[in-house]
Amino acid sequence: MPAQTYDAIVIGSGITGGWAAKELTEKGLETLVLEAGRPIDPEKEYVEHVPVWEKQFRGMGDRRRSDDNQPIQITCTGLDEWNSKFFVNDKENPYTTTPNKPFLWIRGRQVGGRSITWGRQSYRWSDLDFEANLREGIAADWPIRYKDIAPWYDYVEDFVGVTGQAEGLPQLPDGKFLPPMEMTCAELQVKDAIAKHFPGERMMTIGRAAILTRSHRGRAACHYCGPCARGCITRSYFSSLNSTLPAAKATGKLTVRPHSVVHSLIFDSKTRKVSRVRVIDGQTRDAIEFHCRVVFLCASTIESTRILLNSSTTEFPSGLANSSGELGHNLMDHVMGGGAEGEIPGHEHRVAYGHRPNGIYVPRFRNVKSKAPNFVRGYGFQGDGIRPDWKRGADLAGFGKDYKKMLSRPGSWRMRFYGFGECLPNQENTVELDKTKADAWGIPVVKINCAWRENERALLKDMTESAAEMLAAAGARNIEPFTEDNAPGLTIHEMGTARMGRDPKTSVLNEHNQAHDIQNLFLTDGACMASSSCVNPSLTYMALTARACDYAVGRMKRGEI
Amino acid sequence: MLSRNALALFRQVHDQLPASAALKTFNAHQNATVTTIAELIIPQTDTPGAKAVRVNEFIDLIVTDWYDSQERQRFLDGLADVDARSHRQFSKDFVDCQGTQQAEILAALDDEMLKARKASKANAHRKKNDRPDADNFFSMMKNLTLIGYYTSEAGSQEELHEEIIPSRHDACAPLEEESQGKN
Repeated sequence: MPAQTYDAIVIGSGITGGWAAKELTEKGLETLVLEAGRPIDPEKEYVEHVPVWEKQFRGMGDRRRSDDNQPIQITCTGLDEWNSKFFVNDKENPYTTTPNKPFLWIRGRQVGGRSITWGRQSYRWSDLDFEANLREGIAADWPIRYKDIAPWYDYVEDFVGVTGQAEGLPQLPDGKFLPPMEMTCAELQVKDAIAKHFPGERMMTIGRAAILTRSHRGRAACHYCGPCARGCITRSYFSSLNSTLPAAKATGKLTVRPHSVVHSLIFDSKTRKVSRVRVIDGQTRDAIEFHCRVVFLCASTIESTRILLNSSTTEFPSGLANSSGELGHNLMDHVMGGGAEGEIPGHEHRVAYGHRPNGIYVPRFRNVKSKAPNFVRGYGFQGDGIRPDWKRGADLAGFGKDYKKMLSRPGSWRMRFYGFGECLPNQENTVELDKTKADAWGIPVVKINCAWRENERALLKDMTESAAEMLAAAGARNIEPFTEDNAPGLTIHEMGTARMGRDPKTSVLNEHNQAHDIQNLFLTDGACMASSSCVNPSLTYMALTARACDYAVGRMKRGEI
Repeated sequence: MLSRNALALFRQVHDQLPASAALKTFNAHQNATVTTIAELIIPQTDTPGAKAVRVNEFIDLIVTDWYDSQERQRFLDGLADVDARSHRQFSKDFVDCQGTQQAEILAALDDEMLKARKASKANAHRKKNDRPDADNFFSMMKNLTLIGYYTSEAGSQEELHEEIIPSRHDACAPLEEESQGKN
């Protein structure tokens, strides 16, 4: 066998690549993880406890540098002066968009990928989601249902550690939860008011998050320092760097190769399999190839599709594994930013102690029990009820001793609801190769053509109205409804472009995330999604990845792959 | 002995030089004005004020290395306007005015700024990552003073008693605990 041959190659080391690495190595496969970005040493790179006064711009960020190198990444609220190094350099990683259709592509290229900076909200999908396409005759039916994925949700939650409160809701199935985090006084008041005013329709629960509220599988409980997206030296939140990659490493079967920018997959027309992965070394720019028996494409939604598009052959002229013609179509992202905030009177002598890295959640209530008049699907709200700190001073009149004294104490409680809505799969929202432009490694970039449609806009409008309604019901004062105009991409829940489906004529992947056209090719990141639900998708990617690994290794052991 | 013209030229050149090695944009007079305004906004009490934590140096950094040229000019013009106001009202530089006179000028600036903001932001919802308001001198000055002060070690630790590692979360703690690790 050639020297650089592995049983399995996993492309990408983020939330799905980490899971593929763990599952495949634990099942005995010699596994190579190819990561386009640099290695990360948590001891040196995690910066969550670096005080603000040690930062040159005191948390305002290095604007000159970000204007120059990260003009797209800086639009992400999660990027700050501490963690901008966990986001890509936009100059090295360009892409193009259709005129007047902005798409904000927020990326992390390093070992750990975006799992270092993700929002950690972890929700299960339900059959309300998996059956939606079929029920409404939209796009292609999902080839799986909740019963197919439920045991895999159990499996990944048991390893990840998800804090949450069981509620028994059909549209938001309960998981195997660690103890829930607490709601603040304002949140409890609003929760009670929602239960009273919208019985059987709306409710509010504490956020479900991949953060440990007690020690779990060798990782310590959260110490409530707050800024998870800067790293976590106690490994209290889940990331591939904190959790799955160390587990994979412990098997002795893992090789992680950073600085490995995957150029393409090489298809062997005789065996009808992917035989090799072509890599451009990120530092030397040398082209290298690695052989393998099975490939797991986990490079993130748009990157995975880009790799397939760049791997075309005479047999697959429009992209590898694309006999359906669906590769690159149906790009989705959650539509976010309708909501409201307001002041919650009372509780003046109470305040939250510690920085809870989690908020509240209002599960989807539209099109659950009754039909909404002017849109399909629905949305959920994240949010919180907290007392604002000194930053409110910029909006308040005054200066001097009394003003300083006022700012040394927290402001009145404020409750905020922020909506995240489902995006319908649309054939015309696309990712294609733009061969007129290459990235820093000479690989053609993608051109993204994506826009919100009528249904997403209707959801956004309804979010604003229903958020304000709930605040009014809770007795909030000075209610400020808002409707943001965010370009797609910014929610960083991009999904679709290589969807799963029952029919090889209309989908790229089968019910096991295996390419219909190529049996040793699996794709388990967000590209596989046939619809988008309205809940955060990462937990579902993890469950699908573990499920696909189990299937792939079973087939390999029977000599079928 | 220097002639009057030479002396004037010397003073002019001197005023254009940064007041200390730590300053990159402000001359001595601008620095004194910024320091005075910042201390009026967040004065020394039983805890340090803006001057003690050198908010002026932070503002000089932002004006130099963060603001774009338009914002920088707006800030410096705004500073000059503070002196124009003090000369109109009290016939001297702002830094030479009495405390009550300085407070009167600041109150007018504060009032004008908040009125202008109310008018402009009627429909705009401010997002978390909005950059500090850069449309009005006093808005810039006040915001930078707050950031410079409360993100300084003394502002965070002595004034707010923030804890970097609270170790626990109590969602409805008594207010006595508020100053530690509050959210």
